[in-house]
Amino acid sequence: MAIGKPFVRVEDERFLRGEGRFTADYALPHMVEAHVLRSPYAHAEIRSISTDQALALPGVHAVFTGDDLPSDLPPIQCRIPTHGDLSAYLQFPFARGKVRYVGEPLALIIADTRAIAEDAAELVDVDFEPLTAVTDPSAALTEASAKVHERGNLAGRWGFDLGDVATALDTAAFTASDRFSIQRHSAMPMETRGLLASYDAGRNLLDVYGPTKVVHTNRNMLASMLGMGEAEIRMIEPDVGGSFGARGEFYPEDYLIPFASIRLKRPVRWIEDRVEHFAAINHSRDCVFDVTVAADAEGVITAFDVKLVCDMGSFIRTHGDVVPSHAAASFPGPYRVRNYRIDAMTVMTNKTPTGTYRAPGMFEANFARERAIDRLADRMGLERAELRRRNLIQPEEMPWHVGTESVKRPTIFDSGNFPLIFERATQAFGWSAPFEREVEGWKRGRGMCALVEPSGLGPFEGVRIEVDQHGRVQIFSGSSNQGQGHETILAQIASEILTVPMEKVRVRHGDTGIITFGGGTYASRTAIMGGNAVHAASTGVRQKALGAASRKFGFPIEDLDLREGAIWHGMKNEPLASLGDMARMLMPGNQEILVTPSAGNIPDNDGLVVTSYVRGVSAGAAVFAVHLADVLVDPATGETKVERYMVACDVGRQLNPLIVEGQIIGGVAQGLGGTFLEELSYNEEGQLTTGTFADYLMPNVYDMPPVTSLVFEESPATTNILGVKGVGEVGPSGVAAAVGNAIANALSATSGINTLPLTPQRVIEAIGFEVGA
Amino acid sequence: MNKHRVALTVNDKAVSMLVEPRQSLADALRGELGLMGTHLGCEHGVCGACTIVVDGDAVRGCLMLAVQAEGAEVTTVEGASPAVGLSEIQAALREFHGLQCGFCTPGMVMVLHHLFTENPSPSEDEIREALSGQLCRCTGYQGIMNAAKAVSARHGRLNDQPTQTPPDTTGI
Repeated sequence: MAIGKPFVRVEDERFLRGEGRFTADYALPHMVEAHVLRSPYAHAEIRSISTDQALALPGVHAVFTGDDLPSDLPPIQCRIPTHGDLSAYLQFPFARGKVRYVGEPLALIIADTRAIAEDAAELVDVDFEPLTAVTDPSAALTEASAKVHERGNLAGRWGFDLGDVATALDTAAFTASDRFSIQRHSAMPMETRGLLASYDAGRNLLDVYGPTKVVHTNRNMLASMLGMGEAEIRMIEPDVGGSFGARGEFYPEDYLIPFASIRLKRPVRWIEDRVEHFAAINHSRDCVFDVTVAADAEGVITAFDVKLVCDMGSFIRTHGDVVPSHAAASFPGPYRVRNYRIDAMTVMTNKTPTGTYRAPGMFEANFARERAIDRLADRMGLERAELRRRNLIQPEEMPWHVGTESVKRPTIFDSGNFPLIFERATQAFGWSAPFEREVEGWKRGRGMCALVEPSGLGPFEGVRIEVDQHGRVQIFSGSSNQGQGHETILAQIASEILTVPMEKVRVRHGDTGIITFGGGTYASRTAIMGGNAVHAASTGVRQKALGAASRKFGFPIEDLDLREGAIWHGMKNEPLASLGDMARMLMPGNQEILVTPSAGNIPDNDGLVVTSYVRGVSAGAAVFAVHLADVLVDPATGETKVERYMVACDVGRQLNPLIVEGQIIGGVAQGLGGTFLEELSYNEEGQLTTGTFADYLMPNVYDMPPVTSLVFEESPATTNILGVKGVGEVGPSGVAAAVGNAIANALSATSGINTLPLTPQRVIEAIGFEVGA
Repeated sequence: MNKHRVALTVNDKAVSMLVEPRQSLADALRGELGLMGTHLGCEHGVCGACTIVVDGDAVRGCLMLAVQAEGAEVTTVEGASPAVGLSEIQAALREFHGLQCGFCTPGMVMVLHHLFTENPSPSEDEIREALSGQLCRCTGYQGIMNAAKAVSARHGRLNDQPTQTPPDTTGI
């Protein structure tokens, strides 16, 4: 059995030997290189762009600006439903008339080398008329504010109003209210973005290396922007150095680089540098919640009343308003609270546009809700786990309909035994065990976060499986891989169903040339959607092989069995045929399995090949998780140390425990970065002040506490055959909440610890220290 | 721009390359010699993905100019790998799931390769210090630490055993 085993990953060897092939490792003959000239202003009129001097530099082939693009070119479309019409805020590949954020593309310089293209960028003369930058979302909503777009800075206002929140608030025995802010930060994959586009003018074929995440969607978007046939463009995902949601969306460069290759009829490669990446990649989070939580005298939570303001940056990108949408849909978390109201506003500012980052909207909402619940517990004098315990959704209430929706899909928890997992988690951590409150002047606190993480969203996924004459199995998957281990887990599923060793199974992915339709990788979906597509296709291959063997050897199909990669009949000592033999027999034109062969009787075999598309279930699969942390705080300096950290979760069924654990621990690391360190901060002029790795700090090996994962398989997903739930986003989702609660607990703080990141300054402010006093 | 001829030894092989004075050693190894295992994650000396060994020191390939490497002995991840398969360090990183996307991995391999060359059995603190200049966005470092600790323990002196038991890697 291969499913559920902690196989070491099949993809590791090439990376360890330095033989991975990332975008920058690809080159083609006669290739030229691109550099994007970006706006130095957050908000300015463009009066003119002069490219003459840049074009005169030896080695420069072209400088493209907005004037070179087709006048009827549409903006980059949002690929998913939004709350209301946000089309007035979509981005064109080049700034038109105005620039709206530092980093907005103005021109594309093509030269023999990247270095020459960068030299030439210095020679492009842009005449700007600077305008007032809009950098604060609340100021953006005032009458006096400058406008980022003509239609106004309030892009959307929407919400949910379930039950009767007003009455619940009026009759509440206890309430707690506060504002919680989650700072702008983002994915920061270790590999920057890049593309290599190669246009074959004679055949009108375009190859693009470097896309990931949703390659089929991106291919279709590019085809419609270029006026090409979809099958005339091939997008090819190389090895990808991390995405975490941000990388792989359709960005301006995803149009500009292919466009340049078509215009020049030469391969064009663009490799983003890190400083550029900071300004160009989707930022994320950047939400402010005003939360009131109410409870009756028995500790039953009776209402959540929430206002949410989300800073979208300067344009609506391919993700639309998913961050606030997911936050609003899932705010009530794992609790049976029927009175829920949220008033959400999405606001435009002169900053880099936003999109998703691992656990989009969930990291944010979990922080706000769980901090508010701790406040409420403290106010009630009720133990914090006990308050949660009294409000968890019960197993007999599954499936639980929250009553909300996001991207036009209802929020439903398909399955789960939340109380059981909650008890096991708190017991394993020793939540109730007494602990030393003070250690050498440091104060110790304990915190938790209970959450439900949605997974496996999206409409479908596809897989084609081909078995060759040697019994080798190729999986062609419509999903993408950015380091999660899909080449291993998808192979495990096929290995089990086809009873062939892992070494005989290969997984290929992220390539529009290998399968007609593909969903892609987002929302912790590949184990579920990709996995179930492999399950369906493998099962199809198995049936096809057995059926063909039945015809060939004249035994009823029910007397045949597939094991050890071969077809067996009854208890015979020798197999009838291997899978490879069956693949050969099923090759087009092969007459081996005809009962009565004759020259005019060509069988319509189509190989031992099966393509399966599996449909998504709109609500996906819900993962219940509990994060628990012990934290030490120095009350003199505000310095914090996470002593130990545990994530307990029910993933339904593990495909590979090694990978599950790796996803959780790595996710916690990202959550800790967002909790303590990472911030994309802007000054009043709209300049990013944390635009390098020297300013934007990410966790290093010293910042990581020991993290334990406690993974349960109690409640298999009811929405897919394998019963799996996605684990990719469980890690970061609850970190700020659990750690924030632990810090507040350490300091017995009744206010503060509500603004991320939790810098030493914010920590000591929570106990009334005035910084600088 | 005038180019300069630089002669050096890379992975035990004498090589010569023609480079611009502003070209980084990492760019030259990739662009002139086709050694694509050295990765550039930030090009400002923070992330450590481009770490190589130059004359016995672990250095950032993005912060050293190619022209500075005249006469130097350079080892890249390609040189730290056996002809086939994995070195002990590389095998341990796989065994303990010390990599996910694999982009920072060559830097990690080189830092550990350098550490274990200098000290076959480093302490946990020494391992952590060696890794402190490397960024990994995927793993949270736990698997990398466990891998290095396991290698050190196999060499005999590290008392800290890995916190994770090696997974069962047998096939079906």
